[in-house]
Amino acid sequence: MAEYRSIRVEHGSGGFGGPLTITPTEKRNKVMYITGGGAEPECLAKIVELTGLEPVNGFKTNCPEEELALVIIDCGGTLRCGIYPKKRIPTINVMPVGKSGPMAQFITEDIYASAVTSKQISLADGTEAAPTEDKKPETEEKKPEGVKYSADMKVSETLASQEKKSFVTVIGLGASKVVNTFYQAARDAIQTCITTLLPFMGFVSLLIGIINGSGFGDAFASILTPLAGNIGGLLILGIVCSIPGLSALLGPGAVIAQIVGTLVGAEIGKGNIAPQLALPALFAINTQGACDFIPVGLGLAEAETETIEVGVVSVMYSRFATGWLRVLLAYAASFGLY
Amino acid sequence: MDFIVNLASGFMNLFNLGGAQFVSWVTGIIPTIVMLLTLMNAIIALVGDEKIEKVAQVCTGNPILRYMVLPFVSAFMLGNPMALSIGKFMPEFYKPCYYASATYHCHTNNGLFPHINASELFIWLGIANGITALGLSTAPLAVRYLLVGLIANFISGWATEFTTKLVEKQQGVKLSRELKVK
Repeated sequence: MAEYRSIRVEHGSGGFGGPLTITPTEKRNKVMYITGGGAEPECLAKIVELTGLEPVNGFKTNCPEEELALVIIDCGGTLRCGIYPKKRIPTINVMPVGKSGPMAQFITEDIYASAVTSKQISLADGTEAAPTEDKKPETEEKKPEGVKYSADMKVSETLASQEKKSFVTVIGLGASKVVNTFYQAARDAIQTCITTLLPFMGFVSLLIGIINGSGFGDAFASILTPLAGNIGGLLILGIVCSIPGLSALLGPGAVIAQIVGTLVGAEIGKGNIAPQLALPALFAINTQGACDFIPVGLGLAEAETETIEVGVVSVMYSRFATGWLRVLLAYAASFGLY
Repeated sequence: MDFIVNLASGFMNLFNLGGAQFVSWVTGIIPTIVMLLTLMNAIIALVGDEKIEKVAQVCTGNPILRYMVLPFVSAFMLGNPMALSIGKFMPEFYKPCYYASATYHCHTNNGLFPHINASELFIWLGIANGITALGLSTAPLAVRYLLVGLIANFISGWATEFTTKLVEKQQGVKLSRELKVK
């Protein structure tokens, strides 16, 4: 009787989803891998070692779904990556693929993790396996595993045959990793365009249409041009934006800075503001940068509560203290630009 | 009657103008950005987050590394806002200072590397569009934005050490200067 233990699987570099907790039971005691035409994925050995699950090669045999505790795939984002999540079977993808393919809506963080290597796998009770020792257990553990499951000839046969991956398999797997990484990168890029860039363009375009069409533009320009049109005005703009307190209000999503930037850009385009002032203007409209985000940002850096309390005030002070200097520096560097 | 017609056509004109602006951005900006984002995303995925964390641990030692090199590298590799998480390798006292520098780095490098902060790109793009409208290249502006940013962000990060000391006195607390070994 094999001993089963739970593991925790996180997504790897560039991956999506997780962390998953995989808990094998007497009934759900198999891990099926459907990867690289039957080649064993790099993370399989560690999963088998830690959980005691029985590995099944999905290309050679099949296995009733109710016995599967985990499925490992290397899908580039077309179909396979959605099939098992749809059936609510925990799925590991060795490729860095997020929600994609026709079944994208079933790929959720509680059932799917991608870009997984042996480094992302640890015991669920918190004992982290040292990543540097990955290689050793892999080779050592293969032997007992072969003995343990000697009754199942097919599995042990496949394991044995895959101890040495052929040259062609290695090249093939490497190439597919690069191709899939780029494919996923392009998917992320398009996603960024759809979720953040296009909506912002739409929103600002409407605003610009209204501003230009209604004659507000000229009024705006008459306020903005004297401010952004010379270094004194830019300095004032920079100082005002960085006033502690006000800076936090101007921050969210950088929406205000982005609109002001667009308006200043429009004035530069019309020739009302000298192009070389674009450089100090870039600094002046953004002296408040991220003042609204301080607690969250420090939280990301795992700062203590005390640090956050001090940090919020301190960063706002330093923004105020250095904002004008940034504008002046940029102004000094703008000579000879255009 | 003419009044209503004028009003209606004036009203529609607002949206036509907006639509024309939208189309010019979508055709002029989106294609280049998609290409750049794709390449950058791929490079980042191939290099991996773990290597960045190793670099981070080396870089906490002196101000130049802390406020110039490390935030630059983290912004480039991790983008906004994940670049801020690298602050966890600093002692508590330096975390606000790193934050001050890293958040600015997520903007000043955006001209050359739009992947760093794609959702706040219009700070750069809005102004750069004006330069494009004049028929000039935005590349020299992007380069100077980055270079001035390197120095200015360093100053902003370092200055935060002084303001943090000030606020420490105000609030009567003292943050740890030593990195906690977990």
